[in-house]
Amino acid sequence: MRVTRTWAKIQRNAPLHRKLSTESHQCRRVIAERNATVNAFVYTAEAVPTTNTAAPALPLSGRPIAIKDNICTKDMPTTCSSNMLKEFKPPYDATVVRLLRIAGADIIGKTNCDEFGMGSMNIHSVHGPVINPCHSTRSSPNSPRSAGGSSGGSAAAVGAGMCNAALATDTGGSTRLPASYCGVVGLKPSYGLISRWGVVSFADSLDCVGVMAANVADTRRVFDVLNVHDQKDPTASSPESRQEASKMNTARRRKWDIATGSRPSLNGLRIGIPQEYFPLELSPTILQPIRRTIASLRSLGATIVPVSLPSTSYALSAYYVLASAEASSNMARYDGVQYGLHVRPPPGADLTKTSDLYARSRSAGFGPEVQKRILLGTYALTADAFDNYFLQAQRVRQLVKDDFDRIFHLPDVTHVPASNVREDGVDILVHPSAIRTAPALSEQSGLDAYVQDVLTVPASLAGLPALSVPVPKALRVEETEEDDWPVGVSVVGQWGCDETVLRVGEVIEGLGEDVH
Amino acid sequence: MLGHLRQCRANPLCTRRLFHDIRAYKADKRWPGWQVVIGIETHAQIKSRHKLFSDSLTSDLGEPPNRHVSLFDAAFPGTLPRLNQKSVDLALRTALALQCDIPSQSSFDRKHYFYSDLPAGYQITQQYAPLALNGRLTIDVPNIPSFAVRIKQVQLEQDTAKSTFDPRTRTASIDLNRAGTGLMEIVSEPDLRSPEEAGAYVRMLQAVLRAVGSSDGNMEQGSLRCDVNVSVNRIGRPPGTRCEIKNLNSVRFIMAAIIHEVTRQRAILDSASDLETVGVPQETRGFDEHRFETYKLRSKEDAPDYRYMPDPNLGVLRLTQDRISQLRGTLPELPWDTRKRLRGNYGLSERDVEVLLNVDSVREVKLDGEEVEGNSGAVAYFDRLCNEQGTNGRSRDPKVVVNWMTHELLGQLSARKQSFADNQISVQQMGELIDLVQSKVITGTSGKLLLRHMLANPSPLRTQQIAENLQLTALSPFFPSSTGARSTSPTSLQDTKPSPELYGLCLDAINALPSEAAAVKNGNKNVLNKIVGRVMKESRGRADAKSVKALVEELLSVNE
Repeated sequence: MRVTRTWAKIQRNAPLHRKLSTESHQCRRVIAERNATVNAFVYTAEAVPTTNTAAPALPLSGRPIAIKDNICTKDMPTTCSSNMLKEFKPPYDATVVRLLRIAGADIIGKTNCDEFGMGSMNIHSVHGPVINPCHSTRSSPNSPRSAGGSSGGSAAAVGAGMCNAALATDTGGSTRLPASYCGVVGLKPSYGLISRWGVVSFADSLDCVGVMAANVADTRRVFDVLNVHDQKDPTASSPESRQEASKMNTARRRKWDIATGSRPSLNGLRIGIPQEYFPLELSPTILQPIRRTIASLRSLGATIVPVSLPSTSYALSAYYVLASAEASSNMARYDGVQYGLHVRPPPGADLTKTSDLYARSRSAGFGPEVQKRILLGTYALTADAFDNYFLQAQRVRQLVKDDFDRIFHLPDVTHVPASNVREDGVDILVHPSAIRTAPALSEQSGLDAYVQDVLTVPASLAGLPALSVPVPKALRVEETEEDDWPVGVSVVGQWGCDETVLRVGEVIEGLGEDVH
Repeated sequence: MLGHLRQCRANPLCTRRLFHDIRAYKADKRWPGWQVVIGIETHAQIKSRHKLFSDSLTSDLGEPPNRHVSLFDAAFPGTLPRLNQKSVDLALRTALALQCDIPSQSSFDRKHYFYSDLPAGYQITQQYAPLALNGRLTIDVPNIPSFAVRIKQVQLEQDTAKSTFDPRTRTASIDLNRAGTGLMEIVSEPDLRSPEEAGAYVRMLQAVLRAVGSSDGNMEQGSLRCDVNVSVNRIGRPPGTRCEIKNLNSVRFIMAAIIHEVTRQRAILDSASDLETVGVPQETRGFDEHRFETYKLRSKEDAPDYRYMPDPNLGVLRLTQDRISQLRGTLPELPWDTRKRLRGNYGLSERDVEVLLNVDSVREVKLDGEEVEGNSGAVAYFDRLCNEQGTNGRSRDPKVVVNWMTHELLGQLSARKQSFADNQISVQQMGELIDLVQSKVITGTSGKLLLRHMLANPSPLRTQQIAENLQLTALSPFFPSSTGARSTSPTSLQDTKPSPELYGLCLDAINALPSEAAAVKNGNKNVLNKIVGRVMKESRGRADAKSVKALVEELLSVNE
């Protein structure tokens, strides 16, 4: 359904007694005005009005929330931006969508993304690329910029004010990178906290549902609704682990999270700055705002600790082997038999080999980036390559995880008791979310697209909570700088320390007021 | 998260093992000078209510297609597996019965291939860290010398869907009822040495699965399928290259396939000029059930690379010692223990034991290992008949009981084309019937008649009551004693007088057959049987032939 037509219909048909929240109303108007250029939404739902105004307010009552198009919705298509699932309408809601509905959210529509979540520019989409909705006063308006990927539609929708919050997914940075490019908040929670049931798998061991919003408070509100154990997800972390982590975190936060008047105090908070996250490719337009952010945090009382995560340089290759291997496996189900695109063989074709039949549907259904990763992953899993690629990557993944465990104060309670603290450890890490601001869509994405992932992939491999927060404008722009596009700063914590990460994000959000 | 991967080291395609023969060579006159080496991979469907990773019910054969299918079974995007712990318990019971080691951790892997019977494009199995390892199954049955087979491993995996192709309409139909049903793959070491041993191994395995309730082991219905690896070598030479014969679904086919394979492989080796270099090409073969021959499916070069990958959703399956001990403690009696007990405790013959065990080998296996209520098989029925005190206050003679069960009860059931499960005669009724015959309240002939009646007309009444209603109580050759109690210990005819009814029947017969009576009087003893026969007929089996004969003789001699 075309977005504009939907909007017209809503306006025409809306009876007077049906009340939409002001925000739902406002967002639908923005969608109608701007989506044609931004291309964030690929489907917009008809407004479901709040029928009972006397009903007790639910946590998300009247809040329009967008859903990335690789998360299943029973009343809307779920295309994963793929030709393969262009007509696919799942008969079920993902657990996260169900939870949002129960919490009173207005599921406003489905957002564009890279095909099956594979990409970092949101250009690999059957719906076309997403255009970054941010404005620049200085750069040329003629070269549209990328919203980032793979959750570009969700980030752009939040950035453009088309929704209050959006669900995204994050396999290796797909929430944090677009959040950084579009100047919004993006949270990739600890692996296993949010149910993946109904979320179309790209790489199960890395996939997380992410939350995006304009500010940390809105992000947290949605996260709190989704942060419940789901029996349908075999990788869901146990209620015991959740409780243990939460208890440990609250206790630790009491040491520093003391608001004194309007000015937060970070006395006692130890922030690690990982040296490997400042690569040569890091643009100066990123470096300066991040430095200022760190300086501001120090001025609030935080202790800044330089740390090293030596396995980081191997993380990227490990990530691509593992993610592609799992992707090649997960994509195997798209054969055009039970659902999805089915290409009929031409008359006279050899029907004896099933794989020949599948190849027709799969060749037509998958775009080039997905095909590339299927081939890479298939190779990594062949008997000859398995040891050198897949198993080697698994070992690197463990090393990356060990790196983090060595520098954090709190332990990962899914593996060791909460008492195993490191006195000299840090509470969180702070580093840039991206090596640059949003690239122009016209720029050829070569190997750069992969180098970018260096900053986001380690937290995915280790299953850690990671939040990208826009650096406040006041810290960002020197009058002389020509690039005033958003810059994101990442906050990463130990497994289960999501609330701590959000809390620090909130402090960063408010830093601007401090400086000026 | 990654611990279980340490076990991934072994390359799945590199499975050639060193050969150390645990079996002593025994000549076989069908192929003198040759040794046959056989190993079997058995796929047994787990008799569980739900599928292995979804909430859908498992299906019986013949149910309408695609009735029991969940989103997960159809591999819809976004669906995730959830391990059915009841299936795990059933597989563990099997592993314990096969004396396997059960590691505290096992894990699941994906085996990839594209085929229409595999909706996800991969099968979840246990390639790198199976559920159980290093077991042993001893086959100790009549007619074959006892031998042991090592069990390499027991692993859990998903069954596939069923796809059928209609060449006329050129359409393929897919039925997902079976997709995702739990299977146990039980892999033997190459310890079998003849087609007969292979058959006995599979039958024994069937009996074990049924005894522990983990599978009904029904080969005809496809809930037990075998892949058989066969190689041959000349005595003293290293083992030959094995060929795998896929998907054999009866013991008869297994044996026939092995025999054909031995002949085929010998012919290849015989025709070779150079013993050192010649070998049977490694192949995967099928079995033609009409021609009783194996045929080539694919060669080693065409072997697919399944691209095994640890399943990222299911992670590690951890088993506590408590859980394993609990299962071990509640393991039902295993076939060899039953056999030993029936022979040792009751002194039954090999043949009788075999009959009872065979009856139980087709009894119903309940879902999720649940106990069968009431009549739970021939052995249990027999046990109760022997162990419950008889109506006469004494325990029953196991040999008498087994005769009644095997000859009469099972015989008449089979004459009625019924199975033991259809038997409606309770243990109490059957026991009383045996007691009535033993104490001569009714004759053996009447007992059989009564049994037939009770099978045809199930009734909750006591057996004695039914016998009296049918007037089947024996015609005592004796007068009732003065107290009115029925005499149960006959002494001699001289001490007592026959009952009036039997006396009357005998006199009637003598009167009805005057010439025969005369002949007997004249010393022609052979004719006596004719008179006795008539009495027996008139008594409708209620009379005891020996007593009648004595009585008639006595009557005729008295008349003399």
